Amino acid sequence: MTAISYPLAERTLDNGLRVIVSEDHTVPNVAVNLWVGVGSRHESPGRTGFAHLFEHLMFQGSRNVASGEHFSALMDEGARLNATTWFDRTNYFETVPTGALELALWLEADRHGHLLDAVTQENLDNQRDVVKEEKRQRYDNVPYGSALIDIYATVFPADHPYHHPTIGSMEDLDAATLADVHDFFRAHYGPNNTVLTLVGDVTPEEGFAAAERYFGALLPIERTERPRHAQLPPLGEPARLDRVGAVPNDRLYITFRLPVDTTPDYLACSAAVDVVAGLASSRLMRRLVRTDETAIAVGGWTMGLVDGAGLGAVTVDVAAGADPEAVEAAVCEELARFAAEGPDEAEMESVVADTERSWLSALASLEQRADHIGHHALLTGDPAYVNTFVDRLKAVTAEQVREAAGRWLAPEARAVVRYLADAGAEVAA
Amino acid sequence: MSDSAASEAPNAATSAATAAAAATAATTTVPRPAVAPPEPWSFPVGTTHDLPNGLRLVTYDVPGQYVLSVRLGLPISLRDEPQDREGVATIMARTLDEGTAQHSAEELARLLERKGVSYGAGMSDAGLSVDLDVVKGNLEPALDLLRQILTEPVFPEAEVARQVRTRLAEIEQERSVAAQRAGHEFVRTFYARDDRSSRPTGGAPETVSAITREDVSAFHARHVVASGVTMVVAGDLEGVDVLPLVEATLGGWRQGPSRDRFLQRPAQLAPDRSRIVLVDRPGSVQTELVIGAPGPDRSVDGGWAPYPVIGFVLGGSPNARIDAVLREEKGYTYGIRSSFRPRRAGGLFLTSGSVRADSTAESLRLLVEILDSGRNGFSDKEIRSGVDFISKTAPGRYATADAIADEAISMALDGRTTKFTTANLRDLAAVDRSRADGAYERFADAAGLGRGDTRAAGWTIVLVGDAGDHREAIEGLGLGEVTVVSDAG
Repeated sequence: MTAISYPLAERTLDNGLRVIVSEDHTVPNVAVNLWVGVGSRHESPGRTGFAHLFEHLMFQGSRNVASGEHFSALMDEGARLNATTWFDRTNYFETVPTGALELALWLEADRHGHLLDAVTQENLDNQRDVVKEEKRQRYDNVPYGSALIDIYATVFPADHPYHHPTIGSMEDLDAATLADVHDFFRAHYGPNNTVLTLVGDVTPEEGFAAAERYFGALLPIERTERPRHAQLPPLGEPARLDRVGAVPNDRLYITFRLPVDTTPDYLACSAAVDVVAGLASSRLMRRLVRTDETAIAVGGWTMGLVDGAGLGAVTVDVAAGADPEAVEAAVCEELARFAAEGPDEAEMESVVADTERSWLSALASLEQRADHIGHHALLTGDPAYVNTFVDRLKAVTAEQVREAAGRWLAPEARAVVRYLADAGAEVAA
Repeated sequence: MSDSAASEAPNAATSAATAAAAATAATTTVPRPAVAPPEPWSFPVGTTHDLPNGLRLVTYDVPGQYVLSVRLGLPISLRDEPQDREGVATIMARTLDEGTAQHSAEELARLLERKGVSYGAGMSDAGLSVDLDVVKGNLEPALDLLRQILTEPVFPEAEVARQVRTRLAEIEQERSVAAQRAGHEFVRTFYARDDRSSRPTGGAPETVSAITREDVSAFHARHVVASGVTMVVAGDLEGVDVLPLVEATLGGWRQGPSRDRFLQRPAQLAPDRSRIVLVDRPGSVQTELVIGAPGPDRSVDGGWAPYPVIGFVLGGSPNARIDAVLREEKGYTYGIRSSFRPRRAGGLFLTSGSVRADSTAESLRLLVEILDSGRNGFSDKEIRSGVDFISKTAPGRYATADAIADEAISMALDGRTTKFTTANLRDLAAVDRSRADGAYERFADAAGLGRGDTRAAGWTIVLVGDAGDHREAIEGLGLGEVTVVSDAG
């Protein structure tokens, strides 16, 4: 076993920007990563999808940067860059050769401080069209593409921040105006709602000085954020949604509300989902795929979130000719059995070994390491989580896993979304 | 972490902007900093050991990479599959770890997981690849499991039958995904009918459903032997003596008949490959497009280095010629990408992506026009950007154990070593506008672009979308006749 101990140095600038530097000189690169504390969970009804559309506009120019120049100026210096939006946050990132670190910070500070100088109606209209094609490509024109959207709507209550997906509603996007862009930027984009992480060929002192040079003059915003929601309890009775249409095979998504990220109960639930469905040697893999032969594939995953809930899922691709109701009943039976008996020693050992390898793989690149550090600095307040996560998982006992499964993964607390093949429809249509 | 996979990403941007309103912070802005050029960089140097049984071991010590990446490349050709059992190599690859002389499929899955080993195997036109990642301290038990998987698989009848069923379901899934459906139609149109490359790597329903455990076992016995195999181990090797561990586990792997370390024969192209095929998918909200032509391989006259640059300029970045128009100007697409894909002998130049349904014909017209614009030459600035991006990103792209091992095995199956990777980066620095213009001209000539009676002569064009809505408009472009293919019935 390899002890994980990446160095971490942290400083907060006078304007509230948290700066974290993790020094690593193995490659002449620095990963620059900004996590901004705004995501689709901050959107209100009628305004869904806006955080993501806004993120696109961050590439369309700012006070001293022309539209598209953020990409071209950095790529010409050997940067790999992008940005993503999610329920809890928006992140912006580039990995640059060491000599381009200051340029990257200058460009980021310009758009994070002075975006509104350059936003135009033309850019807003164009990026709205691009986002609509993104939705068609990733959700509408793909079999099962809208499953996650259906899952969020089924498992979370209508007034919950995770009820609607980050991609949002296209009607809402149509209603977005330049004034909305200005308001959104002023409400959420500021140094005191941002974490800047630098990982790679830079010392903490160099990193802090560079952050001060380029971000030091940005003014803090007035933050009016509501407190996070209280923990949502498990569903009191099963919820269901069926979609019948042109999919190649029946697929079941058996999903659950979970505790919020990084809590011992969340880690216990995540271990339980692995044992039941996530591992290659999982119980449902053995039963449904290898023994009963009623499934082609089984999967299990959890999504760690911070605003009062997380999400866990067991997915089953039902074999041709098998009865989806019977398959669902078998999943429920295995969940109940697991809650009664808990994991055995070999199962716990598998969860830990598999998690440790995948975690070390995730931290192997500067850019992913920076992203995980920024994630935990912003959302759980603990950037050192990258070093302690595996130990925390190891500290979870088999009994805790059993108890957590009994409460959070109980069959009666499931939300089931089914994509069923329409016997009359042409499969490839 | 499942969240980042599902996140909404922009992946692009461009056009023109002007100032609008006043901003929040009215402080003076720091001057734009200059950039210090990076030092020259070389791909890490590997150490090579040839074992007596023909296995070649190449190790890369990469400090700080605590998950070791093990990769094997076996020069096994899809052409070695019996034509009525196509897919047998894929089924064999997927059943290698489904039971060995010592362990059942379930036991093996559990053993791999308890040692934190991630394992996979798959076929491509370059050969069979076997991938294994493991935390440094567990390399020895991982290699023993790998030995059992490669040399002692028993291919239980039930597991082979299960993999056959899984592959049959996968064929249906591939058919239902527009991008994969387009890919299958492309190879069927582009390659000669009797060439293996024209058919799916994993086989078709009629050949896959005929595969038995005897077929799989025989294919394994004939082809999964040590001769000609390259094995790469990359990662933090301090305190790890890889060679004796490999000798102790795979040193006894049966040698088999002598063979090259790579597959040589080029694929035959269809004589009528230059045409337009529209796969009918009524009601599609987008149309998937693939546009391709025969391209160079890495041994091409004039050098390989200009081609990735040309791919970047035309369709390899958010500011490339294609997305500058189709995404940033028109808003027709989330993004379309072009790249040259070399094989050992011959290659492909491919452009693919999806566009809003009602822009189908217009998008196709623009794409062919932009791709053909390469023949009018490139600008110094475009070429400089491509050269800079590809060369300066190299240290970061090849920073992790898995990226290094993947590149090394890809080079081995191409009959090269990672010395090529370094030499190509050196040559890249010498690519300028005239070299790029010449390279595109040679590609265009060899592909027959513009030599024919239609404007799209030389290109193979596949679309997956609503034929009722778009056929006439596409025919009206004058790019060539349109063949409509339907999956219904």
